[in-house]
Amino acid sequence: MSVLIVLVTPGSHITVCIRLRKVKKISHVFHFILKMCLFPPFMWCCNICCMDSCSVAWEKRKDYAKHSCWFMLGRGLKRKLSDYEENMAGLSSAFDSSRNLTYPLKRQLVLNMCLTKLQTYRMLVEPDLHRSVLIANTVRQIQEEMRQETSQQPVNVCNGIGLHSQNYPGVDSAGISAQLLSGVNQQESNCCDSRSAEEPIENGLLMVSDDDMSSAISSILKDLDFMEDISPPTCLVPAGDDQPKSPENVGLKLEDDRQELKGAECVFGSFEISNSTSYLKDLAIDDIFEDIDTSMYDSDFCCPPLMPSRLPPATTEETLKTFPTCNSSPTNNIQICRTDLSELDHIMEILVGS
Amino acid sequence: MAGAGGGNDIQWCFSQVKGAVDDDVAEADIISTVEFNHSGELLATGDKGGRVVIFQQEQENKTQAHSRGEYNVYSTFQSHEPEFDYLKSLEIEEKINKIRWLPQKNAAQFLLSTNDKTIKLWKISERDKRPEGYNLKEEDGRYRDPTTVTTLRVPVFRPMDLMVEASPRRIFANAHTYHINSISINSDYETYLSADDLRINLWHLEITDRSFNIVDIKPANMEELTEVITAAEFHPNSCNTFVYSSSKGTIRLCDMRASALCDRHSKLFEEPEDPSNRSFFSEIISSISDVKFSHSGRYMMTRDYLSVKIWDLNMENRPVETYQVHEYLRSKLCSLYENDCIFDKFECCWNGSDSVVMTGSYNNFFRMFDRNTKRDITLEASRENNKPRTVLKPRKVCASGKRKKDEISVDSLDFNKKILHTAWHPKENIIAVATTNNLYIFQDKMN
Repeated sequence: MSVLIVLVTPGSHITVCIRLRKVKKISHVFHFILKMCLFPPFMWCCNICCMDSCSVAWEKRKDYAKHSCWFMLGRGLKRKLSDYEENMAGLSSAFDSSRNLTYPLKRQLVLNMCLTKLQTYRMLVEPDLHRSVLIANTVRQIQEEMRQETSQQPVNVCNGIGLHSQNYPGVDSAGISAQLLSGVNQQESNCCDSRSAEEPIENGLLMVSDDDMSSAISSILKDLDFMEDISPPTCLVPAGDDQPKSPENVGLKLEDDRQELKGAECVFGSFEISNSTSYLKDLAIDDIFEDIDTSMYDSDFCCPPLMPSRLPPATTEETLKTFPTCNSSPTNNIQICRTDLSELDHIMEILVGS
Repeated sequence: MAGAGGGNDIQWCFSQVKGAVDDDVAEADIISTVEFNHSGELLATGDKGGRVVIFQQEQENKTQAHSRGEYNVYSTFQSHEPEFDYLKSLEIEEKINKIRWLPQKNAAQFLLSTNDKTIKLWKISERDKRPEGYNLKEEDGRYRDPTTVTTLRVPVFRPMDLMVEASPRRIFANAHTYHINSISINSDYETYLSADDLRINLWHLEITDRSFNIVDIKPANMEELTEVITAAEFHPNSCNTFVYSSSKGTIRLCDMRASALCDRHSKLFEEPEDPSNRSFFSEIISSISDVKFSHSGRYMMTRDYLSVKIWDLNMENRPVETYQVHEYLRSKLCSLYENDCIFDKFECCWNGSDSVVMTGSYNNFFRMFDRNTKRDITLEASRENNKPRTVLKPRKVCASGKRKKDEISVDSLDFNKKILHTAWHPKENIIAVATTNNLYIFQDKMN
């Protein structure tokens, strides 16, 4: 059994992934992905519903989303908590009746729905690529529209809802992007330096910055990629038909894995899922965990890759894809990750009970 | 007689309904595909539980001259089983996404069925004779003591009850990373294509361990992904031509003679967006859910969320005909987006003579559009009109304002009752319409 925990803490965002894998009985593969969401109060969401507490947390989280939507529409707190769908149906029919809502509010409502859906899809083991792409395009379209509006109007308007301006540094703050919606000031201010220029979001609304959205979409699509495309099709491509999309450069693999771990927050889920065999072979990652006593499990470990002929190119392809993202992460992210890894060891010992 | 009459000249009658009566739908019974074979004698359905059920039309009964043969169960088999991909820790659904028949070449029938990842070629054969009179075996199969054999005889074939066997002849696996949404058999009857969200592969029916990748729209950087493949089909006559549709509402026609990798299209069919209809959901509703060539090969039909469009292959900049399926839903798009109905993938089909097209809608309604008379009709698939030869009453949905008698208002439509899969007999006016777990067969009223 091999145990991998990666703990990353950029600011107040902590993502813990514990992966237990019985190599011989592969039928039991447990994924526990516990995410501290940005929505206050503090909540845990379980990827595959194994924990009771998680289903409760999920309910609470939905309530929060409901509440924010109400607030945004100016309905205050008078309305009772009710079923999520009922409530959203009420909102969407308000949208459809198109009398009470101004265009920016409608747009915001649609945007929130899109982001909530994307967030829901990320929780799924296997999100639908078609739907995710459509929703991501809609988000981009709205984002583009908002960007154009704000570039025309330097003063933020729109019922006091603060819209973020443009011109963030070209850094892909993919680490933060794992959080889809950054709702609260404190969490924003704890984020890494590149984002310190942002204005605090007012009113605790579900407002999303442009940068957040684009990087959120990027991370979603990358996750989808990694979850799906571990083995490119074995196909006879006639000679001369280069596929520049899948470079095969095994030498970079080790390096990439190291980079990948450090910038792990940005491709976190993908790393965990896709490199199931590569990390097992990779010594660099083992170094980090050397003080964890896994000696009693090592003898169990003899995992031939299920599709040996295809894996190396696939994982390389994936790792190379992560490469630009990891490179563009600010270095302070990496340092933050390193200190957190030692905390991680400590936590892991507690969890594994060794 | 082929479907020469218009959609409204024909009076559609209820013929049969297959499936469980109760409202509690078992998930495995949800019908996921319907397909007539080339002669129309066989009708295949696939469901979410991975089973294929084939119905056969009875021979025309001389005593019942007024109705065509009924469809009865011919064969049932489990085509796909649920699988678990250990490497990615993902379950592979056994739901049958598509069934395509091969034209009949000998006594046996062949069909291709596919789930998300694997395509299988099934042979369905009949056995109505069996050998009797073995020397070494008793009739029940026990072996005889060789010392008791005194004479030799030649086993003879004697008739037995008809037995229909389905056996998998080829399994085409491990070629798709994403979910297969279409398969289409080439007019050469030797090759076929399979399409997933980002790639299209070309197979030879005899070769299972390799396929050619002919379209790959996966970007180098997945962050740049904005479009996926939603459907693909070979041209019915030209074995080098195929089309694929995208989530952005475009259709690309590719010629395999031009290059091995058909990433560059030969023709691009796209209609410019109507600015007056622009909304946040414009892109989502423009996503094409189905593309079908006409039998003649001159036209193709696409289905997006609200409309059916007929394209002339010689004209790329706009469709020649557009039919609104349920325009009254345009003002409800936000609600439909919220409950995910906006992502429903409706299919469409041509009649045998390419004069009428049909597609499904909500509330168990389905629509037919006559291309010649430009008239359309809305019918409902429900058990209420249960008696055979009962003529179906046309339905009408009232978009807004005063609801007339017999009309249904948009708000009372049941969006859980959707007709996604329909099929039209290739030669006659017989249609198969699949609701969630029932299969309805309607035919025209014969006088």
